[in-house]
Amino acid sequence: MSISRGIIRKAGWQFRNTGRILREQSPFKVVFITLFALGFEVGLYLLFLEGFHFLDQLGGAGRIILNHLFSLFFMGMGAMLVMSGIVTGYSTIFQSDEIPFLVTHPFTTSRIVLYKFLQSAMYASWSFGFVVIPFVAAYAYFLKFSPFFALWTLLFSIPFLLLCAGIGTVLVLILVRWSPTGRLLKLLCAAIPIAGCLFLWSVWRETYEPGADVEFTLSKLIPGLRPATHELTPSWWVATGILSMARGDVVRGGLLWVVLVANVGLVAVGIEWIGSVTFMTSWRKVMGSRRRGRHAAVLFPWAEGLLGGVDRDIRAVVLKDIRIFFRDPAQWSQALIFFGLLGLYFSNLRTFRYHALPDAWRNTISFLNVFSVSAVVCSLGSRFVFPQLSLEGQGFWVLGLSPVKMSRVVIAKFMLAVVALLPISTLLMLLSGAMLQTGWAIRLLAVALAGCVSLAVAGLSTGLGAVFIDLRSKNPAAIVSSFGGTLNLVFSLAFMLLSIVPFGLLHHLRISHLLTPTSWRVYMGGLTVWLIVITGLTTILPLVLGARSLAKQDF
Amino acid sequence: MISAANLSKHYGDLVAVENLNLDVPAGQLFCFLGPNGAGKTTSIKMMTGLLKPRTGRVTICGIDIAVDPIAAKLKIGYIPDMPYLYDRLTTTEFFRFTGEIYDLERDRVEAQLEEQFKTFSLLEYRNVLVKDLSHGLRQRLVYAATFLHAPEVLFIDEPLVGLDPYTIRLIKDLLIERARGGMTIFLTTHILALAQDIADRIGIILKGRVVALGSLDELIAQSDGHDLESVFLNLTSSEYEG
Repeated sequence: MSISRGIIRKAGWQFRNTGRILREQSPFKVVFITLFALGFEVGLYLLFLEGFHFLDQLGGAGRIILNHLFSLFFMGMGAMLVMSGIVTGYSTIFQSDEIPFLVTHPFTTSRIVLYKFLQSAMYASWSFGFVVIPFVAAYAYFLKFSPFFALWTLLFSIPFLLLCAGIGTVLVLILVRWSPTGRLLKLLCAAIPIAGCLFLWSVWRETYEPGADVEFTLSKLIPGLRPATHELTPSWWVATGILSMARGDVVRGGLLWVVLVANVGLVAVGIEWIGSVTFMTSWRKVMGSRRRGRHAAVLFPWAEGLLGGVDRDIRAVVLKDIRIFFRDPAQWSQALIFFGLLGLYFSNLRTFRYHALPDAWRNTISFLNVFSVSAVVCSLGSRFVFPQLSLEGQGFWVLGLSPVKMSRVVIAKFMLAVVALLPISTLLMLLSGAMLQTGWAIRLLAVALAGCVSLAVAGLSTGLGAVFIDLRSKNPAAIVSSFGGTLNLVFSLAFMLLSIVPFGLLHHLRISHLLTPTSWRVYMGGLTVWLIVITGLTTILPLVLGARSLAKQDF
Repeated sequence: MISAANLSKHYGDLVAVENLNLDVPAGQLFCFLGPNGAGKTTSIKMMTGLLKPRTGRVTICGIDIAVDPIAAKLKIGYIPDMPYLYDRLTTTEFFRFTGEIYDLERDRVEAQLEEQFKTFSLLEYRNVLVKDLSHGLRQRLVYAATFLHAPEVLFIDEPLVGLDPYTIRLIKDLLIERARGGMTIFLTTHILALAQDIADRIGIILKGRVVALGSLDELIAQSDGHDLESVFLNLTSSEYEG
């Protein structure tokens, strides 16, 4: 018991010291980040509220959706938490630097795994809380529930979070212990589920004919509605439980809460048991696989020829970064997931028959797609481009003492970011245009906007990354969430809005016949100049500031 | 106190340790030497339960670490070359946390806190967060916390990395004193002078195999050297000459 008490007390000390660390930070930084978080929450709240009003105005189907939305929301959050539980579970259970410390002290393996499970659930709770709070607040306000609704939500959310994170932990424990080690087996294990999903998808596409469907069914309109409202799913327990409590049906609500908590207990017992049986073997396997890794002496040797025309110093920096990036699966897999999901969505636009919609809707969807691609570009800029220079870390002296000018290092980082962001974003917009069958003018505009956002985000993130360089931090997440990282994200999003919204508005006015063709051309010309100017400024200015700041940097 | 029998560890085709047989009796200060990648850290990790040997077994104070790891760990103190510490704890909190996980009485922890912090000159840092400590201060804190539960067997991987001359002297004296008091100490090092100064017995490992074992005088006599450096270079020169 003393060990558990020790860990709980340690967590308490760490929490208290976080306050102390925050007090040591610049007040401006703390206020800026707090305001950004508050703005984000308020923005989400207003967005959800607007969505509820929209559904309510639809009447009929809209009202039915509104009734089931709570279950659907929790199912979506549940799926996200399970995925998050797998990812954070793997890093906290198998890759944490704390594990060797715990293993060499008198902790039982089951206790280590349970402790790490709670830790990964806590990590996941941040993003969960950030989305749940504005959604629940908007939902309660819209349906005029009492303030106790927040209490019931909290009461149900904690076991729900633990349950989903626990399922993720169980999956990760099983996957790591019994995942094959041979290359062929690994390929087969990855290929079989993907092939299965593709097969099911193709069968579904062949059999699903929306045009032939006479009966309108909600479950076809909203994927996942049927499982979300099934009485055996945790999302239904949570949603129905909270709503029952809010409506005064304490017995039903209480019963569902007990069901939820009992399932958490079951999952915890499962984690403890699987952990005690598998953890040490799995952890040693993960440690061993790091050592066994055989790498090519030179990764992508052909890339040197490909960049033959580039100056040698810039080529050296770019190639170094490419090699480091591709040798770290945690890095490239995140980028792949970001763009892969968008690619999957765009390539399936015709499944939703968006190309058959009227011009006005197709153009609107096209602009929304520019938004989604740009938002991903902003996220990637903040996640990968901004920390580039800081992650040079203690190795930065190699560049600092070399005869390479700091401005050229900045240019190399910028070029790499452009090469990574520009082709993918523009290709995705071309794909979106082709699938929506929009006109060439809209396609060209969408590609130009995505290209400008990519250039500006690359320049902004590289430049601000140089200005706010932190060579002491080894943790990309800490660099990204620093003041500079937050500022970079805010500026990137602001650029995105300032560049895309005016064009979207102009097209809306044109489609609504509120503009004459002549005035539309004049406005379009003016906006094109605006786009070129802000893209140029947002790209070049931070790079200049970054290069100057880096030249003054101590190593 | 430490007994390793037929310990082997392979990483794919690489033989990290092969048939390591070693007995370190109570109160002995044993130094394990070897070139980079010879298998020193792998050996120490197998003995502390961090790595599972491919073959063989390790017993600590008669307890098989694979059979009853918790009982064995209660007897052990382990100081790795780059120890993990909780950055967001103060030195005092980290020390008390260590006391809790070994289930020590609070009065004993508080008494030890004063004593160990005084010994390692940490008193003025008792309210400082671990993240704000220099490497040397972090090492001193790890030593202080490791001695808290009075381990019967102490494993140290590269004990003097990043320490100032005063702390080096302090730790050398402390290790000798603890060994005289009955503590069994197993340490790995590249610093031959350290082994020459403090070791009761020395082992030299090369490519995963123990190639020499004995007291300093015995090793010198065995390999026609005049000091530990010449003994070490005679035995391991093949490694560097390719």
